[in-house]
Amino acid sequence: MKITIVDYGMGNIYSLQSALKFLGYDSICSNNSEDIINADKIILPGVGSFKMAMDNIIKLKIDKSIKIAVNEKKTPILGICLGMQLLGISSTEDGFSNGLNLFEGEVNKFIDQSVKIPHVGFNNVDYPDNSTLYKGIKKNSDFYFVHSYRMKTNKTNGVGHSSNGENFVASFEQGNIFGTQFHPEKSQTNGLLLLKNFITF
Amino acid sequence: MKKKRLIYTLLYNKGYFMLSRNFRLQKVGDFKWLKKHYNFEKIASSIDELIILDVTREGRDINEFSSVVKDVIKNVFIPVACGGGIRTLDDAKLLLKSGADKIVVNTTLHTNKELINSLVKNYGSQFVVGSIDFQIENDVKNVYINNGQLKINQNLQDFLSEVEKLSIGEIYLNSIQKDGTGQGYDIKHLEDTLAKITTPIILAGGAGNYLHLIEGLKINSVDAVATANLFNFLGDALPKSRIKIINEKVDLAVFSSIDNLKV
Repeated sequence: MKITIVDYGMGNIYSLQSALKFLGYDSICSNNSEDIINADKIILPGVGSFKMAMDNIIKLKIDKSIKIAVNEKKTPILGICLGMQLLGISSTEDGFSNGLNLFEGEVNKFIDQSVKIPHVGFNNVDYPDNSTLYKGIKKNSDFYFVHSYRMKTNKTNGVGHSSNGENFVASFEQGNIFGTQFHPEKSQTNGLLLLKNFITF
Repeated sequence: MKKKRLIYTLLYNKGYFMLSRNFRLQKVGDFKWLKKHYNFEKIASSIDELIILDVTREGRDINEFSSVVKDVIKNVFIPVACGGGIRTLDDAKLLLKSGADKIVVNTTLHTNKELINSLVKNYGSQFVVGSIDFQIENDVKNVYINNGQLKINQNLQDFLSEVEKLSIGEIYLNSIQKDGTGQGYDIKHLEDTLAKITTPIILAGGAGNYLHLIEGLKINSVDAVATANLFNFLGDALPKSRIKIINEKVDLAVFSSIDNLKV
């Protein structure tokens, strides 16, 4: 199996690769179009600013390769943290930027001023029934989050929620398109289990 | 709801892991010793996060430190923050590549705000943990940098307000006087100060047993407690502490052991 971690210069790729290796899977980090288009599974990681990430992705011309893989070849993709947000329509971080537009979600800053930002730490996720990602994981399990912007969506199917002053998208799954706002590679046993569920999908 | 966090801090100094008392360092053991007494692959399910600090006083080597980080956190799937001597964007990048999710800065908060700004701009607020060491002298909370060796001309309250403007992700607050004493956190002197801070707070310095950890976690404005006491939490003391803390109704995440994962 060819697992391609999209490397656009942002994110803790070492931990993600170690987690996959622990589960018994090799992966490659690449920003080469071929590696993305020919992958069996794509992971889009990321920490940092949405705008900077999209700028990098467009500069590297990998937005097109990701869309070919996901829309035409139906390759499963998992966006993690900022990677999940990038799969959405847009974000207002550092102004306004369009995302990859693979999931109908919009990203804005947390609105509740009474909660601490960034939202950092473990939080429980209320996830949908018949989920692929959470197969074998107990309801309301805790996962590790670290972010200042959050996604909202009108979709309900396949969407998991967490709360930090307000409800927000903690994860989504829509056909071959998956995203987690939290870091599965930093979420202990449950996170590893989730990664395994994605890889074996 | 967001849970509170229990953090373990490892102090590293040229090949050895250290115990610190009032910022005076004592060698405890090398990497082999750490492996033997702290198998983080096993006990990671008892902590929420790991912080690894290079506290070497002279001749820090960021390359060597980052390879130590890689070794310690191999097969540890929890958040890791690293710091000590980060002076450039490249230092931070190297630690990120070695598996650090966040970096910890102390002296730089005072001496090079430009660097803090570019770290935040490049990697986001959540990437930067600001560590602040303080000591109370004549009822004034003085801030120290350079491994607690140099007093700056700002008190804790003023420095905190200034640091909060940098939009960093978290603040790691350590009492030099309580550090390594095992007498408990300096809650008496901090409670009012902490209530005014809007950045997530990690309280450090002084925890000697699980009761101290509970005491810290029960303060509303405290998001996480940290301990660097290698001796007080040896063997299964850490897993047992976590159970006791959860039994005291402190809201910590519940983890299952990695042994439950059949690969």
